[in-house]
Amino acid sequence: MRTGRRRWWQGAAGLAGFLLLLELIPRAGVVPDRYLPPTSRVAGALAGELGRPAFWAALGDTLAGWAIGLALAVGGGVALGLLLGSVPALRAATSSTIEFLRPIPSVALIPLAVLLFGTDLRSKLLLVVYASFWQVLIQVLHGVQDVDPVAMDTAHSYGLGRWARIRHVVWPTALPYAVTGFRLAAAVALVLAVTAELIIGSPGLGKEIAVAQTSGAVPAMYALVVVAGLLGVGVNLAARALERRVLAWHPSTRREAAA
Amino acid sequence: MRRPLVSLVAAALLLVVPGCGSSDDEPPAAAGGSQPVKVGVIPILDVAPIYLGKEKGFFSGRGIELTMETGQGGAAIVPGVVSGQFQFGFSNVTSLLIAQSRGLPLKVVSNGVASTSKDKADYSGVVTRDDSIRTAADLAGKQVAVNTLKNIGDSTIRASVRKAGGDPSSIKFTELAFPDMPAALEAGRVDAVWVVEPFLSATIAQGGRLVASNYVDTAPDLTVAVYFTSERLLRDDPDLVRRFTEAMNESLAYADAHPDEARQVLTTYTQIDEAVIGDLILPKWPAEINRESVETLASLAVQDGLVSEQPDVAALLP
Repeated sequence: MRTGRRRWWQGAAGLAGFLLLLELIPRAGVVPDRYLPPTSRVAGALAGELGRPAFWAALGDTLAGWAIGLALAVGGGVALGLLLGSVPALRAATSSTIEFLRPIPSVALIPLAVLLFGTDLRSKLLLVVYASFWQVLIQVLHGVQDVDPVAMDTAHSYGLGRWARIRHVVWPTALPYAVTGFRLAAAVALVLAVTAELIIGSPGLGKEIAVAQTSGAVPAMYALVVVAGLLGVGVNLAARALERRVLAWHPSTRREAAA
Repeated sequence: MRRPLVSLVAAALLLVVPGCGSSDDEPPAAAGGSQPVKVGVIPILDVAPIYLGKEKGFFSGRGIELTMETGQGGAAIVPGVVSGQFQFGFSNVTSLLIAQSRGLPLKVVSNGVASTSKDKADYSGVVTRDDSIRTAADLAGKQVAVNTLKNIGDSTIRASVRKAGGDPSSIKFTELAFPDMPAALEAGRVDAVWVVEPFLSATIAQGGRLVASNYVDTAPDLTVAVYFTSERLLRDDPDLVRRFTEAMNESLAYADAHPDEARQVLTTYTQIDEAVIGDLILPKWPAEINRESVETLASLAVQDGLVSEQPDVAALLP
Protein backbone atom coordinates (compact mmCIF):
# COMPACT_ATOMS: atom_id res chain seq x y z
CA MET A 1 0.00 0.00 0.00
CA ARG A 2 3.07 2.26 0.23
CA THR A 3 3.07 3.04 -3.47
CA GLY A 4 -0.61 3.99 -3.16
CA ARG A 5 0.11 6.41 -0.36
CA ARG A 6 3.03 7.98 -2.20
CA ARG A 7 0.85 8.47 -5.28
CA TRP A 8 -1.77 10.16 -3.12
CA TRP A 9 0.82 12.61 -1.78
CA GLN A 10 2.18 13.27 -5.22
CA GLY A 11 -1.31 13.98 -6.51
CA ALA A 12 -1.98 16.38 -3.66
CA ALA A 13 1.37 18.12 -4.20
CA GLY A 14 0.63 18.51 -7.89
CA LEU A 15 -2.77 20.03 -7.13
CA ALA A 16 -1.29 22.39 -4.53
CA GLY A 17 1.30 23.51 -7.05
CA PHE A 18 -1.39 24.14 -9.62
CA LEU A 19 -3.46 26.20 -7.16
CA LEU A 20 -0.34 28.17 -6.18
CA LEU A 21 0.34 28.89 -9.84
CA LEU A 22 -3.25 30.14 -10.26
CA GLU A 23 -2.70 32.38 -7.24
CA LEU A 24 0.57 33.80 -8.58
CA ILE A 25 -0.26 34.34 -12.26
CA PRO A 26 -2.93 37.00 -11.66
CA ARG A 27 -1.00 38.50 -8.73
CA ALA A 28 2.08 38.91 -10.94
CA GLY A 29 -0.11 40.71 -13.46
CA VAL A 30 0.36 38.18 -16.27
CA VAL A 31 -3.42 38.05 -16.62
CA PRO A 32 -5.64 40.84 -15.20
CA ASP A 33 -7.07 39.55 -11.93
CA ARG A 34 -10.60 40.72 -12.81
CA TYR A 35 -10.73 38.04 -15.51
CA LEU A 36 -8.75 35.35 -13.67
CA PRO A 37 -9.08 35.94 -9.92
CA PRO A 38 -6.35 34.41 -7.74
CA THR A 39 -7.12 31.13 -5.96
CA SER A 40 -7.63 32.86 -2.61
CA ARG A 41 -10.42 35.07 -3.98
CA VAL A 42 -12.08 32.12 -5.72
CA ALA A 43 -11.89 30.25 -2.41
CA GLY A 44 -13.61 33.20 -0.73
CA ALA A 45 -16.36 33.16 -3.37
CA LEU A 46 -16.68 29.40 -2.92
CA ALA A 47 -17.24 29.89 0.80
CA GLY A 48 -19.91 32.45 -0.08
CA GLU A 49 -21.58 29.96 -2.42
CA LEU A 50 -21.64 27.28 0.25
CA GLY A 51 -23.76 29.64 2.36
CA ARG A 52 -26.42 30.13 -0.33
CA PRO A 53 -29.42 27.78 -0.27
CA ALA A 54 -29.74 28.30 -4.04
CA PHE A 55 -26.31 26.76 -4.48
CA TRP A 56 -27.28 23.57 -2.68
CA ALA A 57 -30.51 23.35 -4.62
CA ALA A 58 -28.52 23.71 -7.85
CA LEU A 59 -26.06 21.04 -6.74
CA GLY A 60 -28.97 18.73 -5.97
CA ASP A 61 -30.54 19.40 -9.38
CA THR A 62 -27.29 18.60 -11.16
CA LEU A 63 -26.77 15.39 -9.20
CA ALA A 64 -30.40 14.33 -9.70
CA GLY A 65 -30.16 14.87 -13.47
CA TRP A 66 -26.86 13.01 -13.55
CA ALA A 67 -28.07 10.06 -11.48
CA ILE A 68 -31.42 9.59 -13.23
CA GLY A 69 -29.86 9.99 -16.67
CA LEU A 70 -27.05 7.60 -15.86
CA ALA A 71 -29.43 5.00 -14.44
CA LEU A 72 -31.58 5.13 -17.58
CA ALA A 73 -28.53 4.93 -19.84
CA VAL A 74 -26.96 2.02 -17.96
CA GLY A 75 -30.23 0.12 -17.67
CA GLY A 76 -31.07 0.61 -21.33
CA GLY A 77 -27.52 0.05 -22.54
CA VAL A 78 -27.06 -3.21 -20.65
CA ALA A 79 -30.45 -4.62 -21.61
CA LEU A 80 -30.17 -3.70 -25.28
CA GLY A 81 -26.50 -4.71 -25.41
CA LEU A 82 -27.25 -8.20 -24.09
CA LEU A 83 -30.19 -8.58 -26.46
CA LEU A 84 -28.41 -7.34 -29.59
CA GLY A 85 -25.21 -9.16 -28.69
CA SER A 86 -26.94 -12.51 -28.17
CA VAL A 87 -28.92 -12.44 -31.42
CA PRO A 88 -26.46 -12.22 -34.35
CA ALA A 89 -29.18 -11.30 -36.84
CA LEU A 90 -30.30 -8.35 -34.71
CA ARG A 91 -26.74 -7.22 -34.22
CA ALA A 92 -26.08 -7.29 -37.97
CA ALA A 93 -29.29 -5.40 -38.66
CA THR A 94 -28.60 -2.64 -36.13
CA SER A 95 -24.83 -2.16 -36.32
CA SER A 96 -24.84 0.42 -39.11
CA THR A 97 -27.68 2.36 -37.44
CA ILE A 98 -25.74 2.39 -34.17
CA GLU A 99 -22.60 3.57 -35.95
CA PHE A 100 -24.66 6.34 -37.54
CA LEU A 101 -26.35 7.52 -34.33
CA ARG A 102 -23.42 7.13 -31.95
CA PRO A 103 -21.19 9.95 -33.24
CA ILE A 104 -23.99 12.55 -33.19
CA PRO A 105 -22.89 14.96 -30.46
CA SER A 106 -25.49 15.19 -27.73
CA VAL A 107 -25.30 19.01 -27.78
CA ALA A 108 -26.56 18.94 -31.37
CA LEU A 109 -29.85 17.72 -29.92
CA ILE A 110 -30.31 20.87 -27.80
CA PRO A 111 -32.79 22.54 -30.20
CA LEU A 112 -34.83 19.34 -30.25
CA ALA A 113 -34.68 19.03 -26.46
CA VAL A 114 -35.82 22.63 -26.00
CA LEU A 115 -38.62 22.14 -28.47
CA LEU A 116 -39.92 18.98 -26.81
CA PHE A 117 -39.37 19.72 -23.15
CA GLY A 118 -38.49 23.40 -22.69
CA THR A 119 -36.00 24.01 -19.90
CA ASP A 120 -37.14 21.34 -17.47
CA LEU A 121 -35.41 18.18 -16.27
CA ARG A 122 -36.44 16.13 -19.30
CA SER A 123 -34.34 18.31 -21.63
CA LYS A 124 -31.32 17.61 -19.48
CA LEU A 125 -32.12 13.90 -19.33
CA LEU A 126 -32.41 13.68 -23.12
CA LEU A 127 -28.86 14.98 -23.52
CA VAL A 128 -27.43 12.98 -20.63
CA VAL A 129 -29.04 9.70 -21.67
CA TYR A 130 -28.17 10.13 -25.33
CA ALA A 131 -24.50 10.78 -24.58
CA SER A 132 -23.96 8.09 -21.97
CA PHE A 133 -26.15 5.35 -23.44
CA TRP A 134 -23.73 4.58 -26.30
CA GLN A 135 -20.79 4.23 -23.93
CA VAL A 136 -22.59 1.41 -22.12
CA LEU A 137 -24.15 -0.20 -25.17
CA ILE A 138 -20.91 -0.44 -27.15
CA GLN A 139 -19.01 -1.87 -24.18
CA VAL A 140 -21.68 -4.47 -23.48
CA LEU A 141 -21.78 -5.45 -27.17
CA HIS A 142 -18.01 -5.96 -27.11
CA GLY A 143 -18.35 -7.91 -23.87
CA VAL A 144 -20.93 -10.27 -25.35
CA GLN A 145 -18.70 -10.82 -28.39
CA ASP A 146 -15.88 -11.78 -26.06
CA VAL A 147 -17.71 -14.82 -24.68
CA ASP A 148 -15.55 -17.93 -25.01
CA PRO A 149 -17.23 -20.21 -27.62
CA VAL A 150 -15.92 -23.29 -25.82
CA ALA A 151 -17.59 -22.17 -22.60
CA MET A 152 -20.78 -21.53 -24.52
CA ASP A 153 -20.65 -24.97 -26.17
CA THR A 154 -19.95 -26.55 -22.82
CA ALA A 155 -22.96 -24.81 -21.34
CA HIS A 156 -25.00 -26.12 -24.26
CA SER A 157 -23.76 -29.66 -23.67
CA TYR A 158 -24.74 -29.46 -20.03
CA GLY A 159 -28.21 -28.54 -21.16
CA LEU A 160 -28.29 -24.97 -19.81
CA GLY A 161 -31.23 -22.99 -21.14
CA ARG A 162 -30.96 -19.59 -22.84
CA TRP A 163 -31.51 -17.68 -19.60
CA ALA A 164 -29.04 -19.80 -17.64
CA ARG A 165 -26.40 -19.35 -20.36
CA ILE A 166 -26.83 -15.56 -20.21
CA ARG A 167 -26.72 -15.64 -16.43
CA HIS A 168 -23.70 -17.94 -16.02
CA VAL A 169 -21.64 -17.52 -19.20
CA VAL A 170 -22.47 -14.28 -21.00
CA TRP A 171 -23.01 -12.01 -18.01
CA PRO A 172 -19.72 -12.77 -16.17
CA THR A 173 -17.82 -12.14 -19.40
CA ALA A 174 -19.68 -8.95 -20.26
CA LEU A 175 -19.71 -7.52 -16.73
CA PRO A 176 -16.18 -6.03 -16.75
CA TYR A 177 -17.03 -4.37 -20.05
CA ALA A 178 -20.34 -3.09 -18.70
CA VAL A 179 -18.60 -1.66 -15.64
CA THR A 180 -16.06 0.10 -17.85
CA GLY A 181 -18.98 1.45 -19.85
CA PHE A 182 -20.59 2.61 -16.62
CA ARG A 183 -17.43 4.45 -15.55
CA LEU A 184 -17.12 6.21 -18.93
CA ALA A 185 -20.85 6.98 -18.93
CA ALA A 186 -20.71 8.42 -15.40
CA ALA A 187 -18.17 11.05 -16.49
CA VAL A 188 -19.91 11.84 -19.77
CA ALA A 189 -23.27 12.12 -18.00
CA LEU A 190 -21.90 14.78 -15.65
CA VAL A 191 -20.41 16.76 -18.53
CA LEU A 192 -23.71 16.73 -20.38
CA ALA A 193 -25.77 17.54 -17.28
CA VAL A 194 -23.74 20.70 -16.69
CA THR A 195 -23.73 21.54 -20.41
CA ALA A 196 -27.51 21.27 -20.59
CA GLU A 197 -27.88 23.59 -17.61
CA LEU A 198 -25.38 26.05 -19.02
CA ILE A 199 -26.92 26.27 -22.49
CA ILE A 200 -30.58 25.40 -22.08
CA GLY A 201 -30.95 26.88 -18.62
CA SER A 202 -32.27 23.79 -16.84
CA PRO A 203 -31.90 24.29 -13.09
CA GLY A 204 -28.50 23.22 -11.76
CA LEU A 205 -24.84 24.17 -11.36
CA GLY A 206 -24.45 25.03 -15.04
CA LYS A 207 -27.28 27.54 -14.82
CA GLU A 208 -25.71 29.09 -11.73
CA ILE A 209 -22.45 29.42 -13.69
CA ALA A 210 -24.36 31.17 -16.48
CA VAL A 211 -26.07 33.54 -14.02
CA ALA A 212 -22.72 34.40 -12.39
CA GLN A 213 -21.28 35.01 -15.84
CA THR A 214 -24.10 37.29 -17.02
CA SER A 215 -23.79 39.15 -13.71
CA GLY A 216 -20.08 39.76 -14.17
CA ALA A 217 -19.45 37.89 -10.90
CA VAL A 218 -16.15 36.39 -12.02
CA PRO A 219 -14.91 34.87 -8.72
CA ALA A 220 -18.30 33.24 -8.11
CA MET A 221 -18.26 31.85 -11.64
CA TYR A 222 -14.85 30.26 -11.09
CA ALA A 223 -15.97 28.96 -7.70
CA LEU A 224 -18.88 27.15 -9.38
CA VAL A 225 -16.57 25.83 -12.09
CA VAL A 226 -14.36 24.45 -9.32
CA VAL A 227 -17.40 22.75 -7.78
CA ALA A 228 -18.20 21.16 -11.15
CA GLY A 229 -14.60 19.93 -11.32
CA LEU A 230 -14.76 18.49 -7.81
CA LEU A 231 -17.99 16.72 -8.74
CA GLY A 232 -16.16 15.15 -11.66
CA VAL A 233 -13.38 13.92 -9.38
CA GLY A 234 -15.96 12.55 -6.95
CA VAL A 235 -17.87 10.77 -9.70
CA ASN A 236 -14.70 9.17 -11.01
CA LEU A 237 -13.58 8.03 -7.54
CA ALA A 238 -17.01 6.59 -6.81
CA ALA A 239 -17.14 4.81 -10.16
CA ARG A 240 -13.71 3.28 -9.58
CA ALA A 241 -14.65 2.17 -6.08
CA LEU A 242 -17.77 0.55 -7.46
CA GLU A 243 -15.73 -1.09 -10.20
CA ARG A 244 -13.38 -2.64 -7.64
CA ARG A 245 -16.30 -3.85 -5.57
CA VAL A 246 -18.31 -5.38 -8.39
CA LEU A 247 -15.29 -6.96 -10.04
CA ALA A 248 -13.53 -8.09 -6.86
CA TRP A 249 -13.50 -11.64 -8.28
CA HIS A 250 -12.09 -10.62 -11.64
CA PRO A 251 -8.40 -11.31 -12.45
CA SER A 252 -7.73 -7.68 -13.51
CA THR A 253 -8.84 -6.34 -10.13
CA ARG A 254 -7.17 -9.13 -8.16
CA ARG A 255 -3.83 -8.51 -9.86
CA GLU A 256 -4.06 -4.78 -9.11
CA ALA A 257 -4.74 -5.51 -5.44
CA ALA A 258 -1.81 -7.90 -5.22
CA ALA A 259 0.66 -5.41 -6.65
CA MET B 1 -22.28 32.56 -28.95
CA ARG B 2 -24.21 29.66 -30.31
CA ARG B 3 -27.43 30.70 -28.63
CA PRO B 4 -29.00 32.77 -31.40
CA LEU B 5 -28.23 29.91 -33.75
CA VAL B 6 -29.85 27.46 -31.40
CA SER B 7 -33.00 29.55 -31.19
CA LEU B 8 -33.11 29.95 -34.95
CA VAL B 9 -32.76 26.24 -35.52
CA ALA B 10 -35.41 25.56 -32.91
CA ALA B 11 -37.69 28.15 -34.45
CA ALA B 12 -37.12 26.65 -37.88
CA LEU B 13 -37.92 23.20 -36.52
CA LEU B 14 -41.15 24.57 -35.13
CA LEU B 15 -42.15 25.74 -38.56
CA VAL B 16 -41.57 22.39 -40.21
CA VAL B 17 -42.94 20.24 -37.43
CA PRO B 18 -46.57 21.24 -37.04
CA GLY B 19 -48.32 20.07 -33.95
CA CYS B 20 -45.13 20.15 -31.90
CA GLY B 21 -45.41 21.07 -28.27
CA SER B 22 -47.32 19.48 -25.53
CA SER B 23 -49.69 22.10 -24.26
CA ASP B 24 -52.55 21.16 -26.55
CA ASP B 25 -53.90 18.54 -24.24
CA GLU B 26 -53.36 20.39 -20.98
CA PRO B 27 -56.63 21.21 -19.29
CA PRO B 28 -57.28 24.91 -18.76
CA ALA B 29 -56.71 25.91 -15.16
CA ALA B 30 -59.79 26.15 -13.03
CA ALA B 31 -61.19 29.65 -12.86
CA GLY B 32 -60.84 31.30 -9.48
CA GLY B 33 -57.90 29.14 -8.36
CA SER B 34 -54.28 30.04 -8.81
CA GLN B 35 -53.06 29.35 -12.32
CA PRO B 36 -49.43 28.28 -12.80
CA VAL B 37 -47.71 30.49 -15.38
CA LYS B 38 -44.19 30.12 -16.69
CA VAL B 39 -42.34 33.10 -18.12
CA GLY B 40 -39.12 32.72 -20.11
CA VAL B 41 -36.71 35.50 -19.13
CA ILE B 42 -32.97 36.23 -19.18
CA PRO B 43 -31.41 36.74 -15.72
CA ILE B 44 -30.31 40.34 -16.40
CA LEU B 45 -31.33 43.64 -14.84
CA ASP B 46 -33.91 44.40 -17.58
CA VAL B 47 -36.37 41.97 -16.00
CA ALA B 48 -36.17 43.32 -12.43
CA PRO B 49 -39.83 44.52 -12.56
CA ILE B 50 -41.27 41.02 -13.01
CA TYR B 51 -39.27 39.71 -10.04
CA LEU B 52 -40.25 42.75 -8.00
CA GLY B 53 -43.89 42.42 -9.07
CA LYS B 54 -43.89 38.78 -8.04
CA GLU B 55 -42.46 39.74 -4.64
CA LYS B 56 -45.11 42.44 -4.25
CA GLY B 57 -47.92 40.01 -5.03
CA PHE B 58 -49.08 41.78 -8.20
CA PHE B 59 -49.33 38.41 -9.96
CA SER B 60 -50.61 36.21 -7.13
CA GLY B 61 -53.30 38.82 -6.46
CA ARG B 62 -54.58 38.16 -9.97
CA GLY B 63 -54.59 34.39 -9.62
CA ILE B 64 -51.24 33.95 -11.38
CA GLU B 65 -48.72 31.60 -9.80
CA LEU B 66 -45.61 32.93 -11.52
CA THR B 67 -42.44 30.94 -12.26
CA MET B 68 -39.50 32.45 -14.07
CA GLU B 69 -37.59 30.17 -16.43
CA THR B 70 -34.16 31.61 -17.13
CA GLY B 71 -32.37 30.40 -20.19
CA GLN B 72 -28.98 31.98 -20.77
CA GLY B 73 -29.29 34.41 -23.67
CA GLY B 74 -32.84 33.34 -24.21
CA ALA B 75 -32.20 30.54 -26.70
CA ALA B 76 -35.18 28.71 -25.32
CA ILE B 77 -37.57 31.62 -24.93
CA VAL B 78 -39.16 32.12 -28.37
CA PRO B 79 -39.41 28.38 -29.17
CA GLY B 80 -40.60 27.83 -25.59
CA VAL B 81 -43.45 30.29 -25.98
CA VAL B 82 -44.43 29.10 -29.45
CA SER B 83 -44.54 25.48 -28.33
CA GLY B 84 -46.46 26.33 -25.17
CA GLN B 85 -43.73 25.39 -22.66
CA PHE B 86 -43.86 28.99 -21.41
CA GLN B 87 -47.01 31.08 -21.42
CA PHE B 88 -45.04 34.31 -21.79
CA GLY B 89 -41.54 35.39 -22.73
CA PHE B 90 -39.21 38.38 -22.64
CA SER B 91 -37.45 39.45 -25.82
CA ASN B 92 -35.96 42.50 -27.46
CA VAL B 93 -38.14 44.14 -30.08
CA THR B 94 -35.85 43.46 -33.06
CA SER B 95 -35.77 39.72 -32.33
CA LEU B 96 -39.56 39.67 -32.25
CA LEU B 97 -39.81 41.59 -35.52
CA ILE B 98 -37.48 39.01 -37.10
CA ALA B 99 -39.47 36.13 -35.59
CA GLN B 100 -42.70 37.65 -36.88
CA SER B 101 -41.23 38.05 -40.37
CA ARG B 102 -40.54 34.30 -40.32
CA GLY B 103 -44.17 33.61 -39.59
CA LEU B 104 -43.97 32.76 -35.88
CA PRO B 105 -47.38 33.48 -34.31
CA LEU B 106 -46.37 35.90 -31.54
CA LYS B 107 -48.14 38.79 -29.88
CA VAL B 108 -46.72 41.45 -27.55
CA VAL B 109 -48.60 41.74 -24.24
CA SER B 110 -46.75 44.46 -22.34
CA ASN B 111 -43.74 46.71 -22.30
CA GLY B 112 -40.47 45.23 -21.04
CA VAL B 113 -37.71 47.78 -20.75
CA ALA B 114 -36.88 51.17 -22.26
CA SER B 115 -33.88 53.42 -22.70
CA THR B 116 -33.37 56.27 -20.20
CA SER B 117 -33.27 58.67 -23.17
CA LYS B 118 -30.36 60.50 -21.52
CA ASP B 119 -27.32 60.72 -23.78
CA LYS B 120 -24.21 59.17 -22.16
CA ALA B 121 -26.36 58.16 -19.19
CA ASP B 122 -28.21 55.15 -20.58
CA TYR B 123 -27.88 51.53 -19.47
CA SER B 124 -26.48 50.64 -22.89
CA GLY B 125 -23.59 52.16 -24.81
CA VAL B 126 -20.61 51.75 -27.11
CA VAL B 127 -17.28 51.87 -25.30
CA THR B 128 -13.77 52.15 -26.74
CA ARG B 129 -10.14 52.55 -25.68
CA ASP B 130 -9.07 53.74 -29.13
CA ASP B 131 -8.10 57.42 -29.04
CA SER B 132 -8.94 57.87 -32.72
CA ILE B 133 -12.62 57.19 -31.94
CA ARG B 134 -14.07 60.43 -30.57
CA THR B 135 -17.69 60.24 -31.77
CA ALA B 136 -20.01 57.59 -33.12
CA ALA B 137 -19.08 58.67 -36.67
CA ASP B 138 -15.50 57.46 -36.04
CA LEU B 139 -16.77 53.90 -35.59
CA ALA B 140 -16.90 53.64 -39.40
CA GLY B 141 -14.35 51.09 -40.57
CA LYS B 142 -13.70 49.87 -37.01
CA GLN B 143 -14.30 46.49 -35.48
CA VAL B 144 -17.21 46.62 -33.04
CA ALA B 145 -18.35 43.71 -30.86
CA VAL B 146 -22.06 43.04 -30.35
CA ASN B 147 -23.64 40.16 -28.41
CA THR B 148 -25.66 38.94 -31.40
CA LEU B 149 -25.09 39.77 -35.04
CA LYS B 150 -28.02 41.03 -37.13
CA ASN B 151 -30.03 42.09 -34.12
CA ILE B 152 -30.84 45.14 -32.02
CA GLY B 153 -27.18 45.87 -31.18
CA ASP B 154 -25.76 46.36 -34.66
CA SER B 155 -29.03 47.90 -35.87
CA THR B 156 -29.03 50.65 -33.22
CA ILE B 157 -25.26 51.23 -33.49
CA ARG B 158 -25.69 51.86 -37.22
CA ALA B 159 -28.42 54.36 -36.32
CA SER B 160 -25.99 56.08 -33.95
CA VAL B 161 -23.29 56.29 -36.60
CA ARG B 162 -25.76 57.58 -39.21
CA LYS B 163 -26.98 60.25 -36.79
CA ALA B 164 -23.40 61.38 -36.18
CA GLY B 165 -22.82 61.64 -39.93
CA GLY B 166 -20.66 58.52 -40.36
CA ASP B 167 -20.88 55.63 -42.80
CA PRO B 168 -22.40 52.64 -41.01
CA SER B 169 -21.82 50.23 -43.90
CA SER B 170 -18.09 49.98 -43.20
CA ILE B 171 -18.39 48.93 -39.55
CA LYS B 172 -17.07 45.44 -39.00
CA PHE B 173 -19.30 43.76 -36.41
CA THR B 174 -18.06 40.76 -34.44
CA GLU B 175 -20.07 38.54 -32.15
CA LEU B 176 -19.00 38.27 -28.49
CA ALA B 177 -20.94 37.51 -25.31
CA PHE B 178 -21.39 40.57 -23.04
CA PRO B 179 -19.34 39.02 -20.20
CA ASP B 180 -16.38 38.55 -22.58
CA MET B 181 -16.40 42.11 -23.87
CA PRO B 182 -14.46 43.99 -21.18
CA ALA B 183 -11.52 41.58 -21.54
CA ALA B 184 -11.66 41.69 -25.37
CA LEU B 185 -11.59 45.49 -25.34
CA GLU B 186 -8.76 45.62 -22.82
CA ALA B 187 -6.70 43.15 -24.85
CA GLY B 188 -7.31 45.22 -28.01
CA ARG B 189 -8.98 42.37 -29.87
CA VAL B 190 -11.77 44.74 -30.96
CA ASP B 191 -11.83 48.53 -31.40
CA ALA B 192 -15.08 49.08 -29.54
CA VAL B 193 -17.71 47.05 -27.71
CA TRP B 194 -21.46 47.43 -27.24
CA VAL B 195 -22.23 46.70 -23.62
CA VAL B 196 -25.20 46.97 -21.29
CA GLU B 197 -25.20 47.19 -17.51
CA PRO B 198 -23.52 45.85 -15.40
CA PHE B 199 -20.77 45.47 -18.01
CA LEU B 200 -21.08 49.09 -19.14
CA SER B 201 -19.99 50.43 -15.73
CA ALA B 202 -17.30 47.75 -15.50
CA THR B 203 -15.84 48.56 -18.92
CA ILE B 204 -15.77 52.29 -18.19
CA ALA B 205 -14.21 51.67 -14.77
CA GLN B 206 -11.41 49.77 -16.50
CA GLY B 207 -10.45 52.76 -18.61
CA GLY B 208 -12.97 52.51 -21.43
CA ARG B 209 -14.56 55.63 -22.86
CA LEU B 210 -18.25 55.89 -23.71
CA VAL B 211 -18.60 57.18 -27.28
CA ALA B 212 -22.26 56.61 -28.04
CA SER B 213 -25.55 55.82 -26.34
CA ASN B 214 -26.93 53.74 -29.18
CA TYR B 215 -30.45 53.35 -27.78
CA VAL B 216 -30.74 57.10 -27.14
CA ASP B 217 -29.53 57.92 -30.66
CA THR B 218 -32.05 55.53 -32.23
CA ALA B 219 -35.29 57.06 -30.93
CA PRO B 220 -36.53 59.07 -27.97
CA ASP B 221 -37.80 56.76 -25.18
CA LEU B 222 -36.88 53.69 -27.19
CA THR B 223 -38.82 50.56 -26.24
CA VAL B 224 -36.00 48.02 -26.17
CA ALA B 225 -37.70 44.82 -25.09
CA VAL B 226 -41.21 43.57 -24.38
CA TYR B 227 -43.11 40.63 -22.93
CA PHE B 228 -44.96 38.50 -25.46
CA THR B 229 -47.12 35.41 -25.80
CA SER B 230 -48.27 33.08 -28.54
CA GLU B 231 -51.36 33.82 -30.62
CA ARG B 232 -52.70 30.47 -29.48
CA LEU B 233 -52.70 31.41 -25.79
CA LEU B 234 -54.24 34.76 -26.65
CA ARG B 235 -57.05 32.89 -28.41
CA ASP B 236 -57.48 30.10 -25.84
CA ASP B 237 -57.18 32.09 -22.62
CA PRO B 238 -57.59 35.82 -23.28
CA ASP B 239 -58.46 36.34 -19.62
CA LEU B 240 -55.07 35.06 -18.47
CA VAL B 241 -53.31 37.32 -20.96
CA ARG B 242 -55.34 40.28 -19.72
CA ARG B 243 -54.49 39.56 -16.07
CA PHE B 244 -50.81 39.06 -16.91
CA THR B 245 -50.70 42.35 -18.80
CA GLU B 246 -52.32 44.18 -15.87
CA ALA B 247 -49.90 42.64 -13.38
CA MET B 248 -46.95 43.40 -15.65
CA ASN B 249 -48.01 47.03 -16.10
CA GLU B 250 -48.36 47.43 -12.34
CA SER B 251 -44.92 45.83 -11.85
CA LEU B 252 -43.29 48.12 -14.43
CA ALA B 253 -44.81 51.24 -12.91
CA TYR B 254 -43.80 50.13 -9.41
CA ALA B 255 -40.20 49.35 -10.41
CA ASP B 256 -39.91 52.64 -12.25
CA ALA B 257 -41.16 54.53 -9.20
CA HIS B 258 -39.04 52.56 -6.71
CA PRO B 259 -35.53 52.24 -8.16
CA ASP B 260 -34.04 51.28 -4.79
CA GLU B 261 -36.34 48.28 -4.54
CA ALA B 262 -35.53 47.40 -8.13
CA ARG B 263 -31.83 47.41 -7.24
CA GLN B 264 -32.57 45.32 -4.18
CA VAL B 265 -34.44 42.65 -6.16
CA LEU B 266 -31.38 42.22 -8.40
CA THR B 267 -29.63 40.52 -5.50
CA THR B 268 -32.28 37.80 -5.52
CA TYR B 269 -31.85 36.50 -9.08
CA THR B 270 -28.47 37.74 -10.30
CA GLN B 271 -25.01 37.53 -8.80
CA ILE B 272 -24.12 41.15 -9.55
CA ASP B 273 -21.81 42.52 -6.86
CA GLU B 274 -23.69 44.64 -4.28
CA ALA B 275 -21.29 47.58 -4.77
CA VAL B 276 -21.88 47.45 -8.53
CA ILE B 277 -25.66 47.27 -8.04
CA GLY B 278 -25.59 50.54 -6.11
CA ASP B 279 -23.81 52.40 -8.92
CA LEU B 280 -25.14 50.98 -12.16
CA ILE B 281 -27.48 52.93 -14.41
CA LEU B 282 -30.98 51.48 -14.34
CA PRO B 283 -33.11 51.48 -17.50
CA LYS B 284 -36.61 52.99 -17.55
CA TRP B 285 -39.63 50.77 -17.06
CA PRO B 286 -42.62 52.65 -18.46
CA ALA B 287 -45.86 50.69 -18.59
CA GLU B 288 -46.64 52.12 -22.03
CA ILE B 289 -45.00 50.74 -25.17
CA ASN B 290 -43.60 53.55 -27.32
CA ARG B 291 -45.17 52.46 -30.62
CA GLU B 292 -43.34 55.08 -32.62
CA SER B 293 -39.98 53.74 -31.45
CA VAL B 294 -41.04 50.21 -32.39
CA GLU B 295 -41.85 51.52 -35.89
CA THR B 296 -38.35 53.02 -35.97
CA LEU B 297 -36.78 49.67 -35.04
CA ALA B 298 -38.91 48.02 -37.73
CA SER B 299 -37.70 50.47 -40.37
CA LEU B 300 -34.10 49.97 -39.23
CA ALA B 301 -34.57 46.20 -39.48
CA VAL B 302 -35.63 46.63 -43.10
CA GLN B 303 -32.85 49.11 -43.84
CA ASP B 304 -30.20 46.81 -42.34
CA GLY B 305 -31.56 43.77 -44.15
CA LEU B 306 -32.60 41.90 -40.98
CA VAL B 307 -36.05 41.35 -42.49
CA SER B 308 -36.99 41.40 -46.15
CA GLU B 309 -40.18 43.46 -45.96
CA GLN B 310 -41.64 46.11 -43.66
CA PRO B 311 -42.89 44.24 -40.54
CA ASP B 312 -46.54 44.59 -39.54
CA VAL B 313 -45.97 46.39 -36.25
CA ALA B 314 -49.68 46.84 -35.59
CA ALA B 315 -50.20 43.06 -35.77
CA LEU B 316 -47.36 42.39 -33.34
CA LEU B 317 -48.26 45.03 -30.75
CA PRO B 318 -51.40 44.75 -28.60
